[in-house]
Amino acid sequence: MLLAGLSACATPQSDALRSALPPGAELDIRGAHELEQVPFYAQERDQCGPATLAMALSASGPQVDPDSLRATVFVPGRGGSLAPEMLAAARRQGRLAVQLAPTIEAVLREVDAGNPVIVLQNLGLPIFPVWHYALVIGYDIGQDRIVLHSGPEPRLQLSLELFERTWARGGNWAMVAVAPQSPPLSPTIDALVEAAAALERVDVRSARLAYGALAQRAPGSFGAWMGLGNSAYTLGDPATAVTAFARASELQPQRADSWNNLATALLAQGSITAARAAIERALALGGAHRNLYEQTAAEIERAPQSP
Amino acid sequence: MHRAKKVVAVIASSCMLAAWLPMPAHAALVGTQQVLHADSAARAHINAWLARDDVRQALLGNGVDANQVQARVDALTDEEAGDLANRIDRLPAGGDFLGILLAVFVILLITDILGLTKVFPFTRPVR
Repeated sequence: MLLAGLSACATPQSDALRSALPPGAELDIRGAHELEQVPFYAQERDQCGPATLAMALSASGPQVDPDSLRATVFVPGRGGSLAPEMLAAARRQGRLAVQLAPTIEAVLREVDAGNPVIVLQNLGLPIFPVWHYALVIGYDIGQDRIVLHSGPEPRLQLSLELFERTWARGGNWAMVAVAPQSPPLSPTIDALVEAAAALERVDVRSARLAYGALAQRAPGSFGAWMGLGNSAYTLGDPATAVTAFARASELQPQRADSWNNLATALLAQGSITAARAAIERALALGGAHRNLYEQTAAEIERAPQSP
Repeated sequence: MHRAKKVVAVIASSCMLAAWLPMPAHAALVGTQQVLHADSAARAHINAWLARDDVRQALLGNGVDANQVQARVDALTDEEAGDLANRIDRLPAGGDFLGILLAVFVILLITDILGLTKVFPFTRPVR
């Protein structure tokens, strides 16, 4: 009875993918692709989190050893690794870590674009969960195959249907960890800016590369310019910060924060008159961070009057 | 620590709070995450600070090396810290399959062969 019920599980995504002709045409991706350069690290005992992460990181930058990641992601009391910490651990290695949309389409798009995808599967059943991280490195829609580096097995091949079942039971969770100057293509620009802001917490230099790439890709993104300005400022580059904050202020002149940050960067450059004009815009608009604007205004007034 | 006590501790030690919040290098700069979440007030920041403390305690309680805990908590966003604080004992922990009981083994072996699950590396689904 239980088995009969389970076998009726629908796999609508796989069915839709297989019905498209030629395979992949509907998604505008190749029908089959495999990332052959991705190294394989066999998982030891309960270490699928560190091993999977190490493979993904080694594919997008310098080689990373699974043992060195163990201390940053493994939770001994749970006998495994937790999804939010998988993202955080990738950031600590200077990578842009982004959770993908919960669709097979997003996973295949990333693999087609050259990014291996970390997936969380429940290899067991809802009542007997067997949580497992694996790395999607290839697919062949026509042959109904998805290829994973999984646990002890390199290039494990599963049918799309079986993958969809095990992945859906894992909550359709997937992420990529890429070099910051090459943001992935499938997530929205807002999701990517959020990911870069998270990276900025731990690695400003890498975050600046990510913001730079995002501002170039989406010149209308207020968040990308604000992030570029903030990271450039923190790294002691007020000239780039001024350009970026000015761009953000042009895009959304009603947002006070960008005027305040522009004023701060102008002050650091020694452009007192321009800084005063910018902070007046921020003060006139007001808002939740008004106390910071007042602080900026006070600093401008304290600054030695430049010629 | 009791939640109410923690709130008092947070408010009392405002300098500590300043140390934990993601502050830009320059005090008068509005940080990127603050810009992106312009609607979230100071209260949200205090909640995030409390969540980080909960996560710190939970990681320690789950055997994570004390030297690593702070860096791990720092690398989380406010949302991730809140998620972990609320569900650290229930979130799926991706590990492996060595801990499965024998009774479960037999059921999963059958479902593997039927192509419903994929627990064991040695099984090949019948279809």
